[in-house]
Amino acid sequence: MSSNQTNIDYSKKDLPGILTKLGFALFGVGLVIVISAFFIDHTRAAFNNLILLLFLTSIGLGSLFFVALEYLAGAVWSTPFRRVLEFFAATLVILPIVALPLLFNMHDLFHWTHNEVVQSDTLLKSKSGYLNVSFFIIRMIAFFVIWLTFYFVITRNSKKQDISGDQSLTSKNIKISAVFMPFFALTVTFSAIDWIMSLEPHWFSTILGVYYFSGTVLAALAAATLAIVLLVEKGYFVKGMVRDHYYSLGALLFAFVNFWAYIAFSQYLLIWYANLPEETFWFLHRWEGNWMFVSIGLIIVHFIVPYFGLLSQPSKMDPKRLKFMSVWILFAHFYDLYWLVMPTYGKGYAVFGWIELGFPILAVGLLILIFTFKSKNQNLIPIGDPKLKRGLNFRL
Amino acid sequence: MSDKILYGYTGIFDTPDEIILAANKVAEDGYKKFDVNTPYPVHGMDNAMKLPVSKLGYAALIFGLTGTISAVTLMYFLSVFDYPIVIGGKPFFAFPAFVPIIFEVTVLAASIATVVTMIALFFKFPNISHPLHDTEYMKKVSSDKYGILLQADDLKFTEESAKELLAKLGAKDITAIYYDQAEISTEHKIFEPKFISLLIIIAVVVSGSTYFALNKLMFMVPFNWMMEQSKIIPQDNNSFFSDGKAMRTPIEGTVARGNMPYQFKGDPESAGKYLKNTLLPTEKNLDLGKKKYDIYCSPCHGYYGEGDSRLRGQFPNPPSLHSEKVRTWTDGRLYHVITEGQNIMPSYASQMTRKERWATILYLRVLQRSLNAKESDLE
Amino acid sequence: MNEIDYTREIPVIEGRPALREIDDLIAKPLETKPDKKYYIALAVTLTMTGIGAIALLLSFYYGTGLWGNNNPVGWGLPIVNFVFWVGIGHAGTLISAILFLLRQRWRNGIARFAEGMTIFAVMTAGIFPLIHVGRPWLAGYLFPYPNQHSLWVNFTSPLLWDVFAVSTYFTVSFIFWYVGLIPDFATLRDRTSNKIKKLIYSVTSLGWRHSNRHWQHYEMVYLILAGFATPLVLSVHTIVSFDFAVSIMPGWHTTIFPPYFVAGAVFSGFAMVQNVLIFIRKIFNYEHIITLNTLERMNKIILLTGSMVGYAYAMEFFIAWYSGVQPEQFTFINRAFGPYAWAYWIMVSCNVIFPQLFWVKKIRRSIPIMFVIAVLVNVGMWFERFVITVTSLSRDYLPSSWAYYAPTLVDGAILLGSFGFFFTWLLLFTKTLPVVSIAEVKAVVEGSQPSHGDH
Repeated sequence: MSSNQTNIDYSKKDLPGILTKLGFALFGVGLVIVISAFFIDHTRAAFNNLILLLFLTSIGLGSLFFVALEYLAGAVWSTPFRRVLEFFAATLVILPIVALPLLFNMHDLFHWTHNEVVQSDTLLKSKSGYLNVSFFIIRMIAFFVIWLTFYFVITRNSKKQDISGDQSLTSKNIKISAVFMPFFALTVTFSAIDWIMSLEPHWFSTILGVYYFSGTVLAALAAATLAIVLLVEKGYFVKGMVRDHYYSLGALLFAFVNFWAYIAFSQYLLIWYANLPEETFWFLHRWEGNWMFVSIGLIIVHFIVPYFGLLSQPSKMDPKRLKFMSVWILFAHFYDLYWLVMPTYGKGYAVFGWIELGFPILAVGLLILIFTFKSKNQNLIPIGDPKLKRGLNFRL
Repeated sequence: MSDKILYGYTGIFDTPDEIILAANKVAEDGYKKFDVNTPYPVHGMDNAMKLPVSKLGYAALIFGLTGTISAVTLMYFLSVFDYPIVIGGKPFFAFPAFVPIIFEVTVLAASIATVVTMIALFFKFPNISHPLHDTEYMKKVSSDKYGILLQADDLKFTEESAKELLAKLGAKDITAIYYDQAEISTEHKIFEPKFISLLIIIAVVVSGSTYFALNKLMFMVPFNWMMEQSKIIPQDNNSFFSDGKAMRTPIEGTVARGNMPYQFKGDPESAGKYLKNTLLPTEKNLDLGKKKYDIYCSPCHGYYGEGDSRLRGQFPNPPSLHSEKVRTWTDGRLYHVITEGQNIMPSYASQMTRKERWATILYLRVLQRSLNAKESDLE
Repeated sequence: MNEIDYTREIPVIEGRPALREIDDLIAKPLETKPDKKYYIALAVTLTMTGIGAIALLLSFYYGTGLWGNNNPVGWGLPIVNFVFWVGIGHAGTLISAILFLLRQRWRNGIARFAEGMTIFAVMTAGIFPLIHVGRPWLAGYLFPYPNQHSLWVNFTSPLLWDVFAVSTYFTVSFIFWYVGLIPDFATLRDRTSNKIKKLIYSVTSLGWRHSNRHWQHYEMVYLILAGFATPLVLSVHTIVSFDFAVSIMPGWHTTIFPPYFVAGAVFSGFAMVQNVLIFIRKIFNYEHIITLNTLERMNKIILLTGSMVGYAYAMEFFIAWYSGVQPEQFTFINRAFGPYAWAYWIMVSCNVIFPQLFWVKKIRRSIPIMFVIAVLVNVGMWFERFVITVTSLSRDYLPSSWAYYAPTLVDGAILLGSFGFFFTWLLLFTKTLPVVSIAEVKAVVEGSQPSHGDH
């Protein structure tokens, strides 16, 4: 399919077969490791599965967020990239499958699923109206339903527009995106509360939803940036992309790295300063044993390196630097989720072995497969979008 | 005027497209000392003029990091060395609590320094006597026209070729710009007498008024009102009480905080029965005991407790402390003697703290043991 | 056919005015004598300031006992007003710096005015920490300098972080504003014939010649300052929120306070800017520079930040229940149904309910309605700071310590005076400096940039 707008130089090429092969290979290896992990140590595997769910949710939901944001803000520089984000948003479809193993391991993951414990603990008892298995599952289903509904409606309109070029589809999507945002805010918050905060049911923090949001946005942005730079370099993208287009991606990555650090630091400072044992124990768990090194590592990996790596203006536009930092940031987000989740499993000792490696391998394989699958039937750029030409002409 | 010095030739253009093309051609022609004047920054002009990228980013980075390091160093020095106080149970170098200030100082240092660098170093501003000021050219490019200036001190410049180039580019109002007499000065602007005297005046005024404010004004009405308050402080005199003093003497039976009075007053037997030595015979305690014994006890009792006083008959010599009686006295009984005195021995309670008394008693035991050693001591 | 054509760029400045017209339009208030309406407005604001000044003099003479602060409500109107005014200042920096970084050209017409508002709002805010220490003439001790008492400041106190943050914010905002003014001073210098004005503009423009060699560095500095000002503005209100959040008071010690306060600050700031701009554009005929599209975009931001504030309310409430911490749960019930319920419901309706009307496009583009909603937002945000500060203090851990706090007339007079102070500076600003940035507006008029789009 070639474009039906004049002056737009894009012809749809199939992505190279080797990419799909790589995807299958990683997926296969990952799957073998994951399944073995469940047989060998199903508790540890369940915790890793939770990290996997959180990571894939970040990519899927974060990408959908950016699609909606582009519509709402009326941005033009991102219009050429929107379809890439839509492809990554398709990750939302497989989330229910990824979540399934968790439902068989609820007792190992969540302290509050043990009835005798809840009955004897006044604090847990008072929360049991929210933290009980049935409501937890209902909420999980609700999240998936909400996310998938918005995903399908928005992307279907976008796909239709490729053929018809109808501007009213853009107006419709803007309205739908506006409605999506409050749902996004609430679901990203409550999924974080359910899947991260309830691991330590005595702990609470009002900013955790925002914390998870900051990581989510970063991960989605990094995945998209990596894909976009690679696609442009290999010639699969529309012609006319210049460094100015990259600048906004680099600047957003930099901005959100700072935002994550700001949120993480605020949470830490307030709990450290007030020194209330009912809150500090969560951080103390992440300082005992060798968790201390993991925590210090988090600051370096998630803040110091990306900060200086994307500080200068040229670095925000340089394709090589952007590719490197995108991969780094994806790794950093996985690290962040590990730091959030694993201390509940390994109190005093951070475990790392082939089990922990298998899940990220599976994740990367899955993402590649989803992307290549979506790109088979759809254009890599929204060729029918009325803002596309303005987007291509965008200059700083 | 033949003695007027030429600064350069200027030409005016009407549209941004024209000025970009013109600037590019001048740059490609090999001119280095030329300039473009526009009422607002025109996109792409930097590339058209082939200007290298601005280095101000480095200034921001360097000064910013200087700010960071200064803030950390200052707070470390003040909180850990100069006046360490435990606040809220936090460590002296409470790094998370220092972060907000570190951040603010970094931003402040970087912002001020970068702007000052740009203005003073890069632009060499303030400079209100440049040849272009007050010219028709400046009036136009300040408002709605775009201009090019070819400077006379460029290697390629000659009056004829400059005029020709500008005409070829399509410039209007090609004019020559001359230096005003007053604008030519070979001195550095910073040493100008007016500027120096201004600096001196500012220095005098600022330091003088600061001195006055902090050392005189703060002690004048109304700022000194809180220094003289109606409430009464301990050392004041005061007409409310008949003795004219603000402080009242403590009532009968008042004890100092943390200090229970000696409960065995006048009762040596109970003291001997109930008081127990609070110290163990460690080296530290024995050293203390020896010191105190040598200071307070030895003048009368002698260095070895044998009663060989140094007082040469001013006081009768006390009996030896190695007697059966004294050796069998308990530590508590000895403590009573030191505390209350005995016969003509005065009380040493005001000269020796309770701990020192116990330590001295330990040392005395050592002395006594030395003349009454057991067989086992030789091993 | 869709009513909006997304393929076309909506011009930022309507009507494609000539560059010289822009000069004339923006310089006009500076070149004409003030009219009667101006003097009446100035008289009103000066009177308000005067009332505040008298209240302050009384407070210094008789002491802060004239205020309503009591035990346990040691923090009353002074802190509420401080946070309120600092918040108002944030919109200015957001418009100048953040919208600049996001390449939103529609900010060019309003950035100068918004930055001016920031500076005046921060000045107004700065009055409150100064006076509430009781002896403002000893304010020098707030800064760490070697003194004869060997006394240093407490670096771990959020109140001291405030000192650093607000003074840095003021300094950097002022520098940013001044740097933006340099080219405009040069333009004014070159068009005036009045000798005194010429001297003043010559000095303040530092000799700017509109040289592109200078524009190049200028743009880099502008970008750097915007890049610094952005985290700075976030940090300032974050540090203000730390005043509350580092404590252990129920209702104060919540980790979401930093982004919540920042969103609230932007929320109230934008509302105030929108209100004042509605007047400015009418009085000075800037309607094609400060367009209805600009106002609509501002209302969208008000809607966004108002929703963020609403989110924070919901989170606080949910986590208060979830945490099972009884004093925290009590605090929220107390806010809604206790002695300050009247303040709480004003806050909720003004901050959460009314701004939601901005979902409707017609309302976003209706000047009378948007004006009213923005006023309500400011009322609501003042009450939010009031509710946070006072309810937690008046009903904290020990019921025997509970007490009701009511501000006194003196408190109210100082608040009134702060509004007078702020608006007086604004009025003076409109007649002495260009309230719209001449150079920035020229740069985004249609036809002002070269037409080849690709290099």
